[in-house]
Amino acid sequence: MDQERITLAHGAGGQKTAELIERLFARHFQNPDLTADDAAVLSLGGTKIAMTTDGFIVSPWRFPGGNIGELSICGTVNDLTCMGARPRYLTCAFQIEEGFPLRDLDAIAASMAETARACGVTIVAGDTKVAGRGQVDGCFITTTGIGELLPNIRTGGALARPGDDVLVTGDIGRHGSAILLARDSYGIEAEVTSDCAPLWPMMEHVFAALPQGDALHTLRDATRGGVGTVLYEIARESGVGIELRAEAIPCAPAVQGLTGLLGLNPLYLACEGRLVLFCAPAVTDAVLAALHETREGAGATRIGTVSAAPAGRVSLITELGTRTLLPPPTGELLPRIC
Amino acid sequence: MEQKTDTRRALAAAREIVCTYRGPRLRIMEVCGTHTHEIFRLGVRALLPETIELISGPGCPVCVTPVSFIDEACYLARECGVTLCTFGDLVRVPGSSGSLADARSRGARVQVVYTPLDAVTYATDHPEEDVVFLSVGFETTTPASALAMKRASAQSLKNFSLLTANKTMDAAYLAMHESCDAYLYPGHVCAITGARVPRALTARGISGVVAGFTASELLTALAVIVKSAGHAPFFANCYPRVVTEDGSPAAQALLHTYFTPVDAEWRGLGVLPQSGLAVAPAYAQFDARVRYRIPPQEGRSNPACRCGDILRGACTPADCPLYGKTCTPEHPVGACMVSREGTCAAWYQYRGAAPASFS
Amino acid sequence: MCVGIPAKVVSVKDGTALVDASGARREVSAELLSSLDPGDYVMVHAGLAIAKITADDEAEAASVLSSIAPAEVNNGTED
Repeated sequence: MDQERITLAHGAGGQKTAELIERLFARHFQNPDLTADDAAVLSLGGTKIAMTTDGFIVSPWRFPGGNIGELSICGTVNDLTCMGARPRYLTCAFQIEEGFPLRDLDAIAASMAETARACGVTIVAGDTKVAGRGQVDGCFITTTGIGELLPNIRTGGALARPGDDVLVTGDIGRHGSAILLARDSYGIEAEVTSDCAPLWPMMEHVFAALPQGDALHTLRDATRGGVGTVLYEIARESGVGIELRAEAIPCAPAVQGLTGLLGLNPLYLACEGRLVLFCAPAVTDAVLAALHETREGAGATRIGTVSAAPAGRVSLITELGTRTLLPPPTGELLPRIC
Repeated sequence: MEQKTDTRRALAAAREIVCTYRGPRLRIMEVCGTHTHEIFRLGVRALLPETIELISGPGCPVCVTPVSFIDEACYLARECGVTLCTFGDLVRVPGSSGSLADARSRGARVQVVYTPLDAVTYATDHPEEDVVFLSVGFETTTPASALAMKRASAQSLKNFSLLTANKTMDAAYLAMHESCDAYLYPGHVCAITGARVPRALTARGISGVVAGFTASELLTALAVIVKSAGHAPFFANCYPRVVTEDGSPAAQALLHTYFTPVDAEWRGLGVLPQSGLAVAPAYAQFDARVRYRIPPQEGRSNPACRCGDILRGACTPADCPLYGKTCTPEHPVGACMVSREGTCAAWYQYRGAAPASFS
Repeated sequence: MCVGIPAKVVSVKDGTALVDASGARREVSAELLSSLDPGDYVMVHAGLAIAKITADDEAEAASVLSSIAPAEVNNGTED
């Protein structure tokens, strides 16, 4: 550890992030409530709550389909949603670079308020810090949220079981594509907007429509590491294998074009408004029907199933009908050209 | 409609020919890293009978680039303060003391670009920085580096140069051919060199076909090999929609003008005479080695690493003492583990998917 | 190596072509290709159009295979 330094891969949500958490943070913070899930489920005076926190450092702060303000609410709301918790209260902390335009900050705050209202969550406290020029890139936001656990829902990354269906709530890789395009690092243009959205309203509808609450086993929002990273996490935490049908994975043509040019895999591009769901096959149709009645879940589809083996691995049934493994996440997203 | 039916029939026929092959053992080397990648992505190995073995050859520029090249790049960033522009492929490759990603975390400026031409644009936009493009790749990629020099020359750009490790495939075809019975020749290299280069190898007893990259193109190419094997040395261009007999004369002319052939070290294969391309003397102002007088870098690789033997097909990753232990995709020791297209990375990532093909 | 993607030419000007790969657009050098028109398909690699191509890989596969194994192709059954 003496010589090691933090690299971008440590923040990319893949294996290096997991290692950093396990070898460093978890070692120091070890306690029974520390969670590997999107939010911790806690008991406070007999009331079950979910609690989580998330930092946002997206650059540029505004991108097609959203901005960092909206994102900072969505990320935390979606983490609570994945635990089957109704998001209630949020706090936010701003780290702002000296020189950042006030009107941009106003736009960010307005967007946060609007997004919070849309999912019935209240922003109850905040903190403001200003850092010297160059110490922060524009504006960074951290939000912390508390939600109220629904009585009949119990989800977790370790609860997926063989036989489950694997669903995704819409086409993949939009947010990562929108950011890549907005940064204009590679001179590519495409009409792709971020999928950034608060998913509580969508899931509230699904929870209500669910014939049996315990049939929904795992929910996780596919953020920075994309759907592929989330599937590997769940395969590992649940000790199961996941088998996807390559042709069933929804991906917009422009996202395919972009990833084709850069040699990237859309399964590893970030989403900010997509959940991966694992449920008993008996309720798949009901879940999909409920999702299709919502705006955010209109493109929901079944992409695969869970098997007992090979545990911890995600495989794909290819267009040739053969089976291959999805390459595990490697961290920093690097274009493959030569 | 009629064409669609023909196509489906052709695909089914190609698949049938490959799957039902019962002849003598056939070792096919895919020379191109993107072939390796697509063969894994499509699960092609799972279709093959045990008698057909696919060997991943040296066609991934990352895998054959010597450690000393990364060391030279790190030296430029550290000692000369240059901005490195690179393809994403090279960022994680370990040098003697860390990768470009490590150098970046210690303050080096590393820009990932899509094309060498973007490195020229970056240099134009940042006149206060000295910009070096890490020029790797085979015949397909090198013309873009040549165009970068052409553009920089037209702009009389003073803050742009190339650190070259470009290579040409023909020496590798000759060096590797005893490891296999037929090559899947790299489609996009042949788009530049023309089909005549690999075709001429039949006179030396070397067989193979030029292949494309889609499922139908790969299966067709394999079917053609299966049908042709066992007779006289053979050649077929199975990628005619992209590869012509003469290739791209314009690209060949660019290579000839801006580059000069040199002996080059291939990681694992040693020095192959006249298999590399360096900046032509007439354009020495764009040669980073000339401009910065980089002292020789020793290029220390882990002595236990068997990437070299693996590249030659002399052993499998499982025979390497580091594989899967200290050398993993997250902590690669050898180049074959760094690149997704490297044999070791491919083994590591896909093993268990089709155990039969990895026995 | 050599990740290539087929793309459709949208416009051409001064040795540069704007190409479209399923909706993702990028300017690439067209200097290797002498005559290029909007609507043509090219193979793109590292910011360079390396070859003019036909759009369809499957028709190609059919004709390549017919030339070496006509019997199989013509008698092949549909699945």
